[in-house]
This record gives sequence, structure tokens and C-alpha cells, in this order.
Amino acid sequence: MMDCSKDWPIFMIDQDLNVTLLQAQTGQLLSEFLLGESPSGQRAKRGARPDFRIPRARLLDGGERLQIIDTLIAVIGGVYCHLPQKRAAYALDPVQALQLLRAHVAALSEGEFHLALTSIVSGLRDAHTRYSGPGAKQGAVAALPFLVEQYGPYDNPIFVVSKVSAPELIRDAKFTSGVILESWNSIPFARAVDLHADRETGGRPDARRARALESLTFRALECGPPPDEMMVDIGYRIPLRRTLREVRIPWRVVQPDRAQTSHQPGSRASRYIAADPAAEAVRRTKKLMFSGNIWQADRSGTPVARGERWIETRFQDALAARVVKNGSSGNLGYLRIWSFDVNDDDAFIAEVVRLLELLPDNGLILDLRGNPGGLIWAAERLLQLFTPNTITPARFSLLASHMTRAMASSPFNRMEFEAWLPSLEAAISTGEPYSQPLPLTDPTWCNDIGQRYSGPVVCVVDPNTYSSGDLFAAGFVDNEIGTLVCVGEATGAGGANVWTHYDLREALRGTSFELDALPADVGYTMAIRRAIRCGACDGMPIEDLGIPGIAYEMTLDDLLHENRDLIAFCASLLKGIPRTAMIVELNESSVTVTTRGLEELETYVNGRPFEAVRRISDGAQQLARPDAETIEFVGRHKGEICQRRKLSLK
Amino acid sequence: MSLIIAGRIIPISGDQKVAPSETASFQGRVWIGNDGRIAAVTKGTASIAGSQMNLADFDNAPVVDAGTDLVVPGFIDLHSHLAYATLPLWVEPNRTVPFQHHDIWPTRPTYPESVTWPAYAFIEAAPAELLAYAEIRALIGGTTSIQGSPPSNRPLDGWLVRNIEDETLGGEIGRHKVLASTLTLKPEQLGERAISMRQGATFIYHCAEGSPGSIVQREYRAAHTAGCLQRRLVAIHTNAIDSASYGTWGEPGAIVWSPFSNLWLYGATTDVPAAVARKINLCVGSDWGPSGTRNVLGELKVASLVSEVKGWGLSAFDLVKMITANPGDVLAQAWSRQAGRLEPGALGDVAVIAANAKAGSRPDPFKTILRATEADVQLVVVDGRPQYGTERLMRQAGVTQTSMIAINGETRRLALTRFEGNGEPWSYKEILARLEEVRDDPKEAIESARRLAFAAIRSGEPPPLRLALDMPTGRVPVGGLPKDLSKISVPPIQPLAHDKEFFASIPGRGFHDGLLEGLADFYD
Repeated sequence: MMDCSKDWPIFMIDQDLNVTLLQAQTGQLLSEFLLGESPSGQRAKRGARPDFRIPRARLLDGGERLQIIDTLIAVIGGVYCHLPQKRAAYALDPVQALQLLRAHVAALSEGEFHLALTSIVSGLRDAHTRYSGPGAKQGAVAALPFLVEQYGPYDNPIFVVSKVSAPELIRDAKFTSGVILESWNSIPFARAVDLHADRETGGRPDARRARALESLTFRALECGPPPDEMMVDIGYRIPLRRTLREVRIPWRVVQPDRAQTSHQPGSRASRYIAADPAAEAVRRTKKLMFSGNIWQADRSGTPVARGERWIETRFQDALAARVVKNGSSGNLGYLRIWSFDVNDDDAFIAEVVRLLELLPDNGLILDLRGNPGGLIWAAERLLQLFTPNTITPARFSLLASHMTRAMASSPFNRMEFEAWLPSLEAAISTGEPYSQPLPLTDPTWCNDIGQRYSGPVVCVVDPNTYSSGDLFAAGFVDNEIGTLVCVGEATGAGGANVWTHYDLREALRGTSFELDALPADVGYTMAIRRAIRCGACDGMPIEDLGIPGIAYEMTLDDLLHENRDLIAFCASLLKGIPRTAMIVELNESSVTVTTRGLEELETYVNGRPFEAVRRISDGAQQLARPDAETIEFVGRHKGEICQRRKLSLK
Repeated sequence: MSLIIAGRIIPISGDQKVAPSETASFQGRVWIGNDGRIAAVTKGTASIAGSQMNLADFDNAPVVDAGTDLVVPGFIDLHSHLAYATLPLWVEPNRTVPFQHHDIWPTRPTYPESVTWPAYAFIEAAPAELLAYAEIRALIGGTTSIQGSPPSNRPLDGWLVRNIEDETLGGEIGRHKVLASTLTLKPEQLGERAISMRQGATFIYHCAEGSPGSIVQREYRAAHTAGCLQRRLVAIHTNAIDSASYGTWGEPGAIVWSPFSNLWLYGATTDVPAAVARKINLCVGSDWGPSGTRNVLGELKVASLVSEVKGWGLSAFDLVKMITANPGDVLAQAWSRQAGRLEPGALGDVAVIAANAKAGSRPDPFKTILRATEADVQLVVVDGRPQYGTERLMRQAGVTQTSMIAINGETRRLALTRFEGNGEPWSYKEILARLEEVRDDPKEAIESARRLAFAAIRSGEPPPLRLALDMPTGRVPVGGLPKDLSKISVPPIQPLAHDKEFFASIPGRGFHDGLLEGLADFYD
């Protein structure tokens, strides 16, 4: 087999911004991808149709396989932060399993080797920790052109096609949004989901099912094997009709690209990522397939609104906001946070602040369902906008091992790891399996902007809310910001900071645990710092447990009518909460504070009390603008702090 | 390339074939062979015929005629921190009492923003330029070997001056012959160093730095307990210990004395007479930008000032030995090659210092060296390679690929090549320009360097040069850096030589009771 890995552009679609949406959605057939001819690697001529074919994976020889296994033995045994927990939770020993695989690795076929290896890694049930072999092309996703969602009770769910991509991709005009799925390759649909869940990551059965449901129609090829079948036969019913219909739909391979605003490999932010890379690729693919205008606008860097009634934003990949009307509660704000995968958390938060100012302050629904995570700083710093409370971020521990000690002792890692070193060294005598947990988002950064939204807030999550999404949900609960609503039992339960082989290789350079380069295109991601919650759940890990909330079951109306019932449910939760508000306006010589529902106003200048507590009623208060760095107002209702605004005067 | 340097030779040698005493000087020649070693030191214009040397080596050797200028061993700075070389003197604002010890000042609020972050910006974004800057700064003060190289991901030997921790003498000796630690080591680490020293390594250790009697004196006791008080230990500072403690150093090694830094931070310095009485080998080191002098030639003057004020009676010869023969003997143990003395077999590291014309026909050469400033440094040769000097001497030495460098108004030539450039010349102007770029936009410079490093590791290319900080980082946020990298404010890059601004920054700052103000008098 020819080696096509050299000099081949990773994202071919990137090369041509003029590609039509349909071309991008069509991609190439999986059968061509796996069995067809590999492309030449030469650039398409100007005006020619872009070549979506992905080069064929090359075979690994025995030595290369050993190299991969030895690396994984070293890093899973040495830095994988969930190792003690996974051993306890699943009664497994991945290091021993890898040792056993090593003994006969050279005799395995290519397929057997990859299957054995991915089974060991996915057996950890950790979406952070993934192996990607040479066949797993970065950014490529196998996709079926429709979205399956479920509603109803957990033990008797109904599976519905909630969205369909371009009609050209399905040769059955009746297969549209709303059809009910009955079978998958002749297997009852619910059974097919359960069977697939066995292959999926996820600590809890509901989390595995959620991922299985998603991966029935989308598979990130970078993080796992391709579908076994080239096409699927789907049995379905049109609602209110008894006739069972069947359609055959081929798998396609598309390349959704990363968002313009996503974190850049090698950037400072890239060391502070908590995300499921597979879910992120799938999320992007959903955007390509079902919100093509957003996907295209993102590629061209044009801010757009998601649709009518949505507010335009330049962070269209990560955010969407609109006003939702609710009969009993009046207008509410709805902020969808699709992802925390951003490179610049300051810009991201500034954009959220801007959007919040355009939303009613009567109450806000934060919707993080399906958020696969991203930059930890973005998630944890965002919390402060919604509460007058001081935010305490989650803390992170390293596995206490010779390897982590060597990494933390390396002079090149002093800035990154120096704070962890004393406890790693102390662990030799204390026997602690982990280092001291320390925040990755400095507490001062979590409180450097302060509250920006006045009204009460409810946050919605589901088992696909993962990693930085988990961290946001944990912070939301632990810092007592508002009510957490969960579709399913809890969030996806990914509690760690994730590094790549490149990050680890760089960090271990010069130590006695130096890692070699892996064969071309082979890589992995690894959970290296384990997240620990704060507040009432102080000390609890997030991994495998997730963050539970008030349970909610999705309805058919939710799936087909923009979460109608879910929004009504959230509105009902917001209804009983007393409303207070505070708006601060800075003028050249004065500061005006307009409040509602507050009885006391405290003013602090440069962090010190500025005047006696004012007794206030609804309306505006004015004071001379002091010559100072900062001014802070604290508003109380019945003695409780309900509003806080901190502004820079410089 | 072999080289002959003629002038008034100050060999500071104990070799009777070279000179009758260490204080002797004479008109003569230093012959440096192709191997970078001194082949001979001869008097007058005598040839080396009859010696065991290969005369053919010198058939076409350029002869540098320094006239009556002093030809001295290249200076050795046994205490520096190159990563912090660009920084100005630092004080914690409004502090009125000296620091107790070295664990206190890094905890001060202004330390990270004044010291750690600016230094980090340079090591991350312009490591080669930073090294070049620091080494040129040493070189213009006559330094040929310097300690305190930042930890690096590749060896730093064989470039401009000798980086003591990295030196291999062109592969003659193995790496790790000289170990060093700025940070205080744990008992087991000290135990490991004790073993290494017994196996032939030299260990340079910051030890008991602080006010006399302060708690850090226990670091010296810990070194003793661990078995580190050996002949091959080079203890930096030890100003916190009482003089009697030197008695526990059974087979004395060396102490590096950095009086400027000691007085600046603690108002008290090492008890030199007590150490000398114990036959500890005393050396002088310049320390770092935030609390030190710019080169060891400057530090020598501070040592002289302290000696004078305290009545220690150190002669110019005693002091000059502290930057030549004394540290040279330390290095000779580690490298099995003599440094810091001009004698056959020794390293061909030489400085030429202008004779003091005002001091009469036969002035004490050691006083001349003591009083010399950067303007008096006429030529610096490392390993037989002329690296820096006046246009005339560099031309005589046959060095053509040089660039101009101005030092306090004096013009010199610099034979610097790019760190990774196949001998391509590199000027100080270019180096400074890059450092200024980093200073202008540290955030972009740091991020860009990170991206390049990542791209290299991803493509399988060798990683770019990487350096690390060796001093305490201070109280920093998680990850060591401010949230917004654009908040890193890099102070103006300091001139290479001691200048009026440097002296103007001394009065009223630090805890030296005015003593350090006397330094300016040497530069009038």
C-alpha cells in the first residue's frame, strides 16, 4: 500500500473556501473512503471540483506497534489521572492489558491490532482519553444525513428523526424530520442503541446511551473506528400512520473543519483544554449538516444570526441567543452555549456580556446540552456573570507518580507545574495517590468581571454536556448560581484537563521519561489533571459521576419545535424567584445606579467601603464619580446580596 | 587557528617555568595552539625553539601586539544568572529593612512582574538573543567563562564564552562535570550531589544566602549533614552563616562572593577573612541583573570597596585572583584543564587590558586590572579564538567576520555567529532589535514562539532552542503567568556596560548604607 501520509493536506476542504455547502455535506461515500482509490495528494486545479477523498491509512509494522503500545503503557501508567478510579470502577487494568497485547502484537493483523488497542483505551470509559491510529484522519467524520433524538421515559424511549440534512442525500422524500425510527439494520432501534452503547465511552449507562445515540449517525474517525457497514437500512414510521417503511442510506465521510474561534494547537490556551475531541468534531459536523448557513458564515468569518429571532454574533460557532416568549413569565433570555472551544476566553466572555445586555433581565435559560467542552478558562470565568457570589473554581490534581514528579521537576515546566511539585513530592511519604488539587483558572480571574446579568438563571444540561461543560455545571451548582436542569441523570461526567501526545512529549523532554515520536498520524489524548468540585461537593470528582440536576424528560414538541416544553419548564422554575436588578452607568463626573427590588446599597471604592449603607427603593441613585481605580456596588434584598457590579474607573 | 599575543604578561601562574611567583609580570608572549590550549608563555621576544612544541603550528600564526597592555587570564564569573541579564536593579518599593534571606524577596508582590515575567518573555520568545546579550555583556568585561547558564534543551558549549555547566572542551570531557543549583535542595538531592562530587563532579550551590544568623544558615548545616562539604563544593554566598561554621568544612572547597547583591538585598555580606583563614578558595561572582553588577570586572571593584570599608586588607592581587586563578583552580578540578592562569597546557582564554598610562612606567598591574573598566578591555580570546576587541587587535588576530559594537562610546569588533547559523555573523544590533521586538509585544512574541515550538514537535523537526528560568518565580498565578500576557511589562533592556544610569539607580536604594555608591568612582 502506498504511503499517503506524507505531505498530504489534513483539511482538504480548508483549501477552498468556495466549496458549496452541498459539496461539503456530501463529502465522499464511506465505501470510497475505505475501499476506493487513495487520492493523489495533488491540489485540484482552479475551478475543478474539490477532491474530498481522504488518503488511505498506511499499515503499521511490528516495531511501530510496539512503539505505540510502549508509549501508552508509559503514559497511562504514569500520568493518566483517572487510573485509580477506573481500576476501581470497572475492575480493569489497562496497563496489564497493554502488556499482554504487547506480547503478541506483531502477529496481529492491522484490524486486530487497532481493535484490540482501541478496546483497551475505550474500556476506560473516558471520552478524554482516546487513541487515534493512522487510519483515523484528523477532522474526518463519518455521517448519516439526519439527526436522531429520543424523548419519553428512559426505560421506554421513542427515537425520532429531529433534523434532516440536504434532501439530495436521502432518496426517500418521506424520510423527513418527525419520522419515528423502528429499526437499524433490521435490529430493533432501542436494541441497536444499547448494543452500540457498549462500545461507547461514558461512566454511566445513560451517558453511554446518549453517546451511542449520537454516534449511531456520526462517528469522529480521528477518535475511533469507522462504521462496520457501508450503509444502513432504517425502518421507520410516519407519525400517526401504521405503515413501516424502509430506507437505505449510505455513510458519508465529511470534514467539518474547526471553527475560526476555536483554540489553536500550541497556543497557551491549548494546555487548559477540557473537551471530548470526538464530540467536538461531531458537533461541528451537525453544524455542517443541519445549520449549513452558520457553518459557512463561520468559515468566511462573517457574524450571522442563527435564524429569525436570533441575535447576530461573531461567536456563532459557540453561542446563540434569543428572546423567548413565555405566557406566564414574560420574555426570558435564552443563551445556547454550544461549545467552550475558543482560543480567546476574554473575547468569548465579552461577547456573552454583549449578548446578555440585549436579553431581558427577567430570567435567563442557559442551555449547555451537547456542549463537549473546550477551554477551561472560558467555562469557569463565565460563571461570574450570573451571580453576585464570589466564584470558587474547580481544582485539579495530578496523579502522584514518578513520571508526574519528573515532569513537575523539569526546569522547563516550572511555570506550568511548580505549584503542584511540593505535594507530588510529599506524596512519597504521605502515600496520597494524587497531588494537592489546585485551580487551573486562578480565582482572581474567575472574579475579575463580576456579575453582569441581573435576573435569575437556570442552566440546562444533558449527558452530552461534557468536560468544560461539566465544569461549568459543577461551578453553577457549587457556587449556588441557580437551578440546574438535567435531561437525563446528570452531565456527561468528564472531569479532567486533557493533553495531547505533543503536549506530554514536550513536557517530558529532558526527563528520564522522555517520549519518542509516534508513527505518523498516530496520536492520543490523555486526561492528565483530575477535576475536583468545590462548595458543598468539595472534594468530589466529576469523572464518571457528573453533575445531577432537576430531571427533565424531552418531549416530541421539544424535538420538533425548538424545545418548547423544556423552555416552559425552565420558565416555571424561574417564576417563583424574586426579581431584582441593578444597572450602573458611568458618566464623566457621576455614577448612576438604577435598582429594582433592592433595599440596601453598599458602595466600595478600591475595595474599601465608600459611604454608609444606603437605604434605597426602586429607582436611580447618583453619586460623584470618585478618583479611584474601581467602584463596586452591592445591592441587598432582605439582607441577602442579590446584585453586585464592579467597574473599572480608569 | 593558533595565535600569539604579545604584551605585558600577567600569568598569575604557580609554574616556575613561566614566572617566579604568581605576582610576577613581564613583557612577553602567550602562545596558543590550534587546540585552543596555551602552548607556551615566553619572556621578551624569545622564540619557542627548543621547547617541546610543534613550531609548525605557529608558522602562520597571527601575532597580536598589545604593546605594554596587560595580557591576563580571561576572567571567570562563578556566579551569574544569564536569563535575567537584561533586567535593571530591582527593589521592593517602600521597603525600609533588609530582607532576612533568599526566601523572602521572591514573595514580594512586585517580584514576578518586575523579574520573573520579563525574564520569561525573553527566554520563551528570544532565547538565542537573550543568551547572546548575556554572553556579550560578560565578554565586554573580559569574562571568558561564566556560570549560571539557564537550563536549556541543548548544550550551550562552544559558542561565545564558556558556559561553565555545559562546557565539554570540545568533547574532551563529558557533560555534567559541573552541576549547579540555584534553588535549595532537599536532603536526598544533596546526598546525590555528595555522591556525584565523590565521583569527580564539581557542584556549585546557592547556600545560606541571607542576613547573618538568619534561618537559612541551616542550608549550610544540611549540606554538611548530606556530605556535601567537600573539596569540589562551590558554595555561593554563605553570608548567613557564622564564621565558626567554616570550620566544619573539612577539606575546603570554594566560596563565591557576590558583595553587591548581598549588600543590596541583605545589607551584609560573606565573612571573607574567616573563609580565607579556613583556606577556602575565594572567588567573586557578579550575580544577576536585579541585584548585581554587569560583569565580574565591576563586581571586583565592589569587593575592593567592601574590603576597604571593613578593613579586610585584601590586596589588588588577592582580588584579581578571585576572578582568575582562584575560580580557575575550581574549574581545573572539574575539567582537568587549568583555567584562570596563563601557563602551558592551560585553556587559551585571555583578556588584554589597557595599561594605565597615568600610573607611571611600572604600575602595579593588579591595581590596573582592579581599576579597569569595560573601556579598558582591548581583546578577549576564548579557546584561542579572538571573540571581541579593538579593531586593531582583532585585525592583527586575523579575525575578519566581525560586527561593530559600541561600548560606552568606544568602538569594538565582535566575532559573534548565529547560535544555529553555520557560522553566519550576528551583530549586537540585530540581537538588540529582536529583544526590543519582544519587549514591544511580549504577548505576541510568547504566543508566536509557542506556536513555532509546537509546529516543530508536531512535524518531528528538532525542537527550537528552549531555556528555563533558574531563579524563584515568586507568587504567581496558576500556570506562572498573568492571565493577560499583554500585561507583561518588560523594562528597558539595560546597556551592556556599567554606565551613568546604572550608578544613578544606586543611591537611596538597596540596603548598602551608601557603600555601593563608591562604585561610580571607578568609572569616572
